[in-house]
Amino acid sequence: MTISKKTLATVGSAVVLASMTLGTGAAMAQAGELRGNIRVVIGSTSTGADTYQNSSIVTDALAEKLDLNMKVDAVGASSAFRTLDRDSRGNTLMIFHDYAYLGYLYGVEGFSDIFEKYTIGPTVSINPGNAYLVPKDSPYETLDDIIAAVGDGETVRVAIQPGGVSEIGFSALKNAIAIEHPGQEDNLVAVNTGSQSDKNQQLFDDQVDVINGSVQANEQYTRLPEDDQKAMRFVWLTASQDTIEQAPEEGLGQTSREQLLEYVEPNANVTMGDDENFTFDKEFFFIYNKDMDPGIVEQIDEALAEIYEEGEIQETLKASFFTPNFRPSGEASEHLQEKMARYQEIIDNIK
Amino acid sequence: MDFLSLLDISFFLLVAFGALVGIIFGAIPGMTATMAVAVCLPLTYALGLNHGLALLLGLYVGGISGGMVPAVLLNIPGTPSSITTTFDGYPMAQKGEGERALRVCVIASVIGGLVSAAILFLFAPLLADFSIKFSYVEKFLIILLALSVIASLSSNMLIGIFSGVLGIWLSLIGDYSTTDGGNGKTRLMFDFMEPYLFEGFSLLPVLIGIFGISTILLEAEKGVRSELSSSRMVIGKAAGVLSLFKGRLTNLVRSSFIGTFVGMLPGVGGSAASVLAYTQEKNLARDSSQMGKGAPQGLIASESANNALTGGALIPLLSLGIPGDSTTAVLIGAFTLQGIQVGPLFIPENADTWYVMIVALVFANFVMFFLMFFAIKHIAKVVMVPKHILYPIIVMMCVVGAYAINYGIMFDVWTLLIFGVFGWLIQKIGLEVAPLIIGFILGSQAEVYFVKSLESAGTLSTFFTKSPIAVVLWLLILASVVFSVVMSLKSRAKGRQEVLS
Repeated sequence: MTISKKTLATVGSAVVLASMTLGTGAAMAQAGELRGNIRVVIGSTSTGADTYQNSSIVTDALAEKLDLNMKVDAVGASSAFRTLDRDSRGNTLMIFHDYAYLGYLYGVEGFSDIFEKYTIGPTVSINPGNAYLVPKDSPYETLDDIIAAVGDGETVRVAIQPGGVSEIGFSALKNAIAIEHPGQEDNLVAVNTGSQSDKNQQLFDDQVDVINGSVQANEQYTRLPEDDQKAMRFVWLTASQDTIEQAPEEGLGQTSREQLLEYVEPNANVTMGDDENFTFDKEFFFIYNKDMDPGIVEQIDEALAEIYEEGEIQETLKASFFTPNFRPSGEASEHLQEKMARYQEIIDNIK
Repeated sequence: MDFLSLLDISFFLLVAFGALVGIIFGAIPGMTATMAVAVCLPLTYALGLNHGLALLLGLYVGGISGGMVPAVLLNIPGTPSSITTTFDGYPMAQKGEGERALRVCVIASVIGGLVSAAILFLFAPLLADFSIKFSYVEKFLIILLALSVIASLSSNMLIGIFSGVLGIWLSLIGDYSTTDGGNGKTRLMFDFMEPYLFEGFSLLPVLIGIFGISTILLEAEKGVRSELSSSRMVIGKAAGVLSLFKGRLTNLVRSSFIGTFVGMLPGVGGSAASVLAYTQEKNLARDSSQMGKGAPQGLIASESANNALTGGALIPLLSLGIPGDSTTAVLIGAFTLQGIQVGPLFIPENADTWYVMIVALVFANFVMFFLMFFAIKHIAKVVMVPKHILYPIIVMMCVVGAYAINYGIMFDVWTLLIFGVFGWLIQKIGLEVAPLIIGFILGSQAEVYFVKSLESAGTLSTFFTKSPIAVVLWLLILASVVFSVVMSLKSRAKGRQEVLS
């Protein structure tokens, strides 16, 4: 039997069409669910910092729960947002922290209102370690000493990374000085730096008096002897007392939870006026493409709710000095918008 | 000696496997040691810290070393730190000495790697204290020193300086971030380019384009057919490699020290190490006239320095918690994923892990040496592949590498093409590639440290008065400039004499 080219082409086309239809059917059946390889981009380029560590813990748990292949990529904020913009299928998700909206409040290039442009996913944890430090031989023993010194007209230089988590503490401090010592707030000077290494170096060089850092990155420096050029001392943790109280009792390294509580309210107060104190919990949360199927939002919410109910992830997060803090998408979005409005006030006050 | 119980057979197998995979990553244009470590980082969860570090350190050493293969054989730096390897490696390969050049590179690499591992082991905390004496001003001056040699790398000083400035200018395109002392706005581009060029041109696509694609374009101009019939590259003999090291001990040791030293300064970068080592050899050697034309001394300087970077970059990582280069910046993730703090007390508090790392680093260097030294004979045969088969494969690898480097950005492939054509063009109009690329790599860092120095001190005089280290660096810069001018005048006088006679 001879088979003509025409017959071959017809049969071939039919097979291709049939497989395409079947393929579409399979894809349609799975619509509203995560499928294939999932890439979780994060707003930091560092694999040594808290965003990567936290995202890895959460992503691994989620991948196991959903039986999917998920990978965290440390691409940085602007790349992560742009990557997310391009993918509405749900194959790209993003995890970031409060910098996502603080960057917008501070007018950082490349940042837009995340509540308008994206769908906010669930919050997963808090890093309670956002800290401010001075050299061990600094004349400033406490945060009150710093506020008083600035109020007396002394210039105090603070190394921060502009536009984000690092700056919000500085802004709050400046706001507190404006309230307690009106007109003196400009004596608190921000020195713009980049990485943690840059901030540390500025302190070693006596170019700044205070640096923004973290319990995780700087705890070992606080245990060096006073005559060491690198020795530092905590003066303020921005986290709330409640958040630190949820940390493991042994704290981090050789600094116990009890010791860390000395650096949060009510021991270190930064007023916002009206008897309210400033606290800042650095929260991690998911961000999705606005056009992503709502079914996927629900699927991740449900999967994470189950994971947190099982309780194992809490232990892993706590072991890495994170405070578990799961809120499903809707609740998380509301909570973060309230938080943004609160910090907007501070930033407006000191403008 | 509790750590000995941690060293089982799987530990050594992981180091060896890491070194092998690292070499492959390093040898593929566009794939780097950093990428290899990043890809394998999540494996450390399953492997545990010590075995995870074994794999990652193997990848690190292998990845840095693998870059020499395409640099020598194809004129494409496999990693940014092997740029200077192309200067002499490719001319040697063209003369049929590819295998010989690779063997010189491997020996220099292993010595550089071992010297830096020894320095790391013996002096890490001490050197970390020294490294913090290098603030913005000193780092700017080190980069300026590396840039000052642009002129001495060029056949015509003025053209070299112009090419270098052009490279610096290209490096400044993109967002001038507030963390870098800028205003957060994009610059040197039109508004419609912003979505593509917000972060400027990526380094690796630029490198591969300007070296690899432009080389292929130049070859394509000659025509593949005639090339095939007449002068297919030959491999040549590789005997007597050790004799090439005779009288080069100073170069080898100096370059290894330079590599370690630059590695321990966070933010200065690996390319600066090999550039500095290469140019110091050019300035200090009794006879450097053949450098850039296929001199083994250039390979020794470049490769010993870039492998010495590995131990150097681990010094601030393990003594301060601050990564020394881009690969150790990923490597630190292995510790954080295991919840281990890396800081000034890491070594005393984690003595076992510290010893394990040293063993892995030393072993990785030996594995790299044996793998490469004995495989070179076969690797070098790449140049025997007919060019009409080889070049399309290289182009494909370059495109894949460029696309992968930032995890799937198509503009990086266009960057590769743009700079491929640009690289071909600048050679046509007589500009110099080496100074241009060095300017491109170091330009943005120079700007950041310059602006930050001014921001911190508020006065230009800080560059001269900041510290004795700054004064020493100025003297080195001055000596380098004077040397370049003298050499340029000498070669001009020699040229004139030749014309007269």
